[in-house]
Amino acid sequence: MAIETILIINKSGGLIYQRNFSESFASKLNSNDFLIIASTIHSVFAITSQITPKALQITQNNVDYVIPYIPMVGMESSNPQQTRNANVPVKLGSYKGPDFFKEPFISWNKSGLRQLSTDQFTMYIYQTMTGLKFVALSSNVLSTNAGTMNGSIDKTKAVNVASQVADNFLRKIYCLYGDYVMKDPFYSMEMPIKSELFDKAVKRMVNNLL
Amino acid sequence: MSRQQSINSSQTPTPTTAQSPLSRSLKATGEEVWKRTEKINAELFTLTYGAIVSQLCTDYGRDFVKINEQLYQMGYSIGVRLIEDFLARTALPRCQGMQETSEALSKCAFKVFLNITPRVTNWSSGKDAFSLIIDDNPLSDFVELPMDAMEQLWYSNVLCGVLKGALEMVQLDCDVFFVSDILRGDQQTELRVKLNKILKDEIPIGED
Repeated sequence: MAIETILIINKSGGLIYQRNFSESFASKLNSNDFLIIASTIHSVFAITSQITPKALQITQNNVDYVIPYIPMVGMESSNPQQTRNANVPVKLGSYKGPDFFKEPFISWNKSGLRQLSTDQFTMYIYQTMTGLKFVALSSNVLSTNAGTMNGSIDKTKAVNVASQVADNFLRKIYCLYGDYVMKDPFYSMEMPIKSELFDKAVKRMVNNLL
Repeated sequence: MSRQQSINSSQTPTPTTAQSPLSRSLKATGEEVWKRTEKINAELFTLTYGAIVSQLCTDYGRDFVKINEQLYQMGYSIGVRLIEDFLARTALPRCQGMQETSEALSKCAFKVFLNITPRVTNWSSGKDAFSLIIDDNPLSDFVELPMDAMEQLWYSNVLCGVLKGALEMVQLDCDVFFVSDILRGDQQTELRVKLNKILKDEIPIGED
């Protein structure tokens, strides 16, 4: 999954972090455009929670919101050319390696927008219990071709897996946020993030995902 | 920042009736996450906190009311940030009431950050207030309070601030205060958590 852009939106809908990871359409937008995009996402997110289909609302208890744990999303893969051997644990800030977490988890985002697929990009949103939204824009396009019966089942599976990978990935970005942004004594809450350590860590994770 | 504890010391078992599946899994989550966090030296933590309180006493000229307030504010600033770290680590779903909240606090939150498991007791009649009895408070190791402080200072008041800040960020407006403290000569260290209201307007959209 190739991540183009990561956005972090605070609980009031303001953009507090925005990074582009490749030279493509995203770099044609300036920072003002991203501010507008962030507020739009925030509002659309709220609107989508109101238009949940009635059938889904009635069977609320049967929907499974558990996101399975997908191992090593965004972590350094075992590359034989790397000098790091298996015995040396990867430095993950305040987490002991090899990964940030190992269990499946329940999504806090029950009726809001989680994934937006278009023919140019796919957008994934992960909302935390405190109202913070992590948005990832990926250049991977999820196929929308109408196929045979088997084809559409596979397509649904592919969409689900992509969404789960994105949720795992964005939760790890949330872990990095907790480590490098929250613990920075000079960071004011709800303000734009200016942290070199956070930038480096996020870039490392995005590169590992390619 | 988590407390290092020697392997020999044992945890006091919580006197409960049959544990529900939820509380068992909270305990397991707490232990798992505790194992996966980097630790710092416990004495360094205790002594640093002691130095902070001691410096506050000098700065405020031993006005313990102000010092309590300042410790509370410091704790509040810590709490609003610590909750993000806690949620990222554990990804616990929203608690359905104060009962679950008290379990999550005692079995998971305190375990992950301080490696202690306070007991939950003294439920109010409306089930919206409870007490946490802390058996071995890591902040107050090696501490003895002087006579004037013993009457007025709540030494670990930072904990009250942390709980208030953290709970407020998950839309629970609570009052958190000390009822008794071993350092003051009382029988036990008791922290009271009282729910004022659930901040329904601030619940993030999409949670239902």
